[in-house]
Amino acid sequence: MAETLLWVIPLVPTVTALLMFTTRDRRILSAIDVGGSTILAVLALVLAREVRVGGPRALGIFRIDDLGLVFLLLLVVLTLAVSIYTVGWLKQALAVGNMKAESVRSYFALVHAFVATMVVTVLADNLGVLWIAMEGTTITSAMLVGYHGHQHGLEAAWKYIIVTTIGISFGLFGTVLVYAAAAAVPGGVAAMSWSAIMKVAPGLDPSIVRIGFIFVMVGYGTKAGLAPMHLWLPDAHSQAPTPVSALLSGVLIKCALLGIIRFQTIAAAACGPAFTSMVLVVFGLTSVVVATPFILAQRDVKRLLGYHSVEHVGIVVLGLGFGGPVGTYGALLHVVNHGVTKALAFFGAGTAIARYGTRDMRVIRGLFAVAPIGATFLMLAALSLAGVPPFSIFVSELLVLRAGIGHGHWLAIGIFLTMVAVIFAGILHHVGAMAFGRPTAAATREPEAWSPLLAMLLLAAIMILLGITIPASVDGLLRRATGVIVG
Amino acid sequence: MSTETVYTIVDDLGALLLFTMILILAAGQIYRAIYAVAAQSFLIAVAGAVLAMATGNTDLWVIAGITLAVKAISLPWVLHWVVRKMNVRREVEPVIPVALTLAFAVMVVVMAFHLSGSLGPVRQAITGNALPVGIALTLLGVLVMATRKTAMHQMVGLFASENGIFFTAMAVTKGMPLIIEIGVILDVILAVLVMAIMVLRVRSTVDADIAGLDRLRG
Repeated sequence: MAETLLWVIPLVPTVTALLMFTTRDRRILSAIDVGGSTILAVLALVLAREVRVGGPRALGIFRIDDLGLVFLLLLVVLTLAVSIYTVGWLKQALAVGNMKAESVRSYFALVHAFVATMVVTVLADNLGVLWIAMEGTTITSAMLVGYHGHQHGLEAAWKYIIVTTIGISFGLFGTVLVYAAAAAVPGGVAAMSWSAIMKVAPGLDPSIVRIGFIFVMVGYGTKAGLAPMHLWLPDAHSQAPTPVSALLSGVLIKCALLGIIRFQTIAAAACGPAFTSMVLVVFGLTSVVVATPFILAQRDVKRLLGYHSVEHVGIVVLGLGFGGPVGTYGALLHVVNHGVTKALAFFGAGTAIARYGTRDMRVIRGLFAVAPIGATFLMLAALSLAGVPPFSIFVSELLVLRAGIGHGHWLAIGIFLTMVAVIFAGILHHVGAMAFGRPTAAATREPEAWSPLLAMLLLAAIMILLGITIPASVDGLLRRATGVIVG
Repeated sequence: MSTETVYTIVDDLGALLLFTMILILAAGQIYRAIYAVAAQSFLIAVAGAVLAMATGNTDLWVIAGITLAVKAISLPWVLHWVVRKMNVRREVEPVIPVALTLAFAVMVVVMAFHLSGSLGPVRQAITGNALPVGIALTLLGVLVMATRKTAMHQMVGLFASENGIFFTAMAVTKGMPLIIEIGVILDVILAVLVMAIMVLRVRSTVDADIAGLDRLRG
């Protein structure tokens, strides 16, 4: 049963993408979109149950363990939320001419092709397949980033495809080196499977693996948006259609993090955890520090959220770098929290952008008076992103912090805390000004569409729940996933 | 073939690959850069054939054939076609002078050899000097992309980078799984097609090179 699901799950979005070409009617297309995402989510939940009962499953190039499951569940939940959001968003985008009616079906098809490639990155056991799927996500999402077809969108799409393609070719080099090391050990493996390499990992030549890991870190780090390879991220996140921004920020950069984690476990076994820890802490801190000034000085709301993703990816990588059960658990929880919260923030921002017809935060004023429910969700997301208790991100940041203190990374902790405090003030200032104040004349005041609100409600419920209490099933999953990394 | 002969041939091909890389870095006209990268891919295919003969690994024959057909012939042809279609008249000056770029390139090559010289057992895992040459090509491809603000040069740089990875991957003693190499090449083809579409789309709407657009900042 579970083995079959490993093949069926990547097929669901693929088939959904193909089904899009059977019709041109917007309503039917949206129905296929939501239907496909719902089936994907249900199948992923079934798979999660199977894995909880029967442990990791493998079939050919695919394998699912508790670690992959964390990312898979995040992916399917966000995909479903994005599909629901798209119903109302698309109607509005068509009305104002941001999207063209004749290109809607290829848009949907690309979104599901993008989802399919991301599903493969999560399920891939073979490190080569992981790389191929990762490059696949670049190709499909680059077309989505430039989908509006104007000059800025194409500029962002070009920067995105060039920077990430060159970035992940470093990842391929790292993969080749790790594979070469695995093939060279006596009785070594002539396969690129992660689980097979993990079995011989302690015997790998540390010097080759060390270079390989640095290449992978730069490579998949580019895709994850780690500074200083993040240059594509704010452009792509701000120019893409809002549902795509949510997928890029909520899911895609997390898939790249999973790639980094897979290699981290190999490298930690081969060269000792001190080496991987150092590399991860350096990249994590750099990202947090580099993102800060751009967050403070930002005027474009979607770029603000983009730079904010750089900061949060940095926090996840810091958590992984501090390591130990606490740091790793915190990092994984942060992956989930940030994914859900950032998608919610993009949805809220997208609603505001639709009202005011601009992404400039100096124009978006008084959202509470214009769209009270949407503004509430945006404000909740911003409070959570800033790290206010009792929201979920506060919990995971605290865990990362505790791991850093536990392992005596005092300098890193000092820099981290300073930056988080500055960003806290910065984001609350920005979003506070957007939500309150006197509405500008540009804003329209018709009632809010139901589907974006429903999508936001779904995500806000998860966000608040994870902040107040972590349910036993989620906690168990995260603990087992931590066990996969820490060993 | 004896192991020694194979090592010699791989090292000689590596030297030729570095030479084509210098041609790409120094090329003023985009056509020359395209011819140079096509020649580079051809050398990669030859390396694949030599290693296939030496190791008896039939997969390498297939990979060499695909490399020849796709990277040495088809994709350079696509680039050539796009350049003609774009009808670029003026040359774009590199961001830093070519002489300085070449000086950087020398440093990168020396560093790459120094780095892999410090690895003891790499000789067992990867044939000859394929590792330092591969690292050098990959980094120099990035150098091309960083110093040239035209879409075509950036695509050529990307090709050169991937050639470096392929060269190292072929020389891994047990060979890479065939299906993975084919998947990687398929990705490269798709990426190039998408890039070509973007370049032509920008060219058709505004008279500008997509890589030269710089409105998104901060």
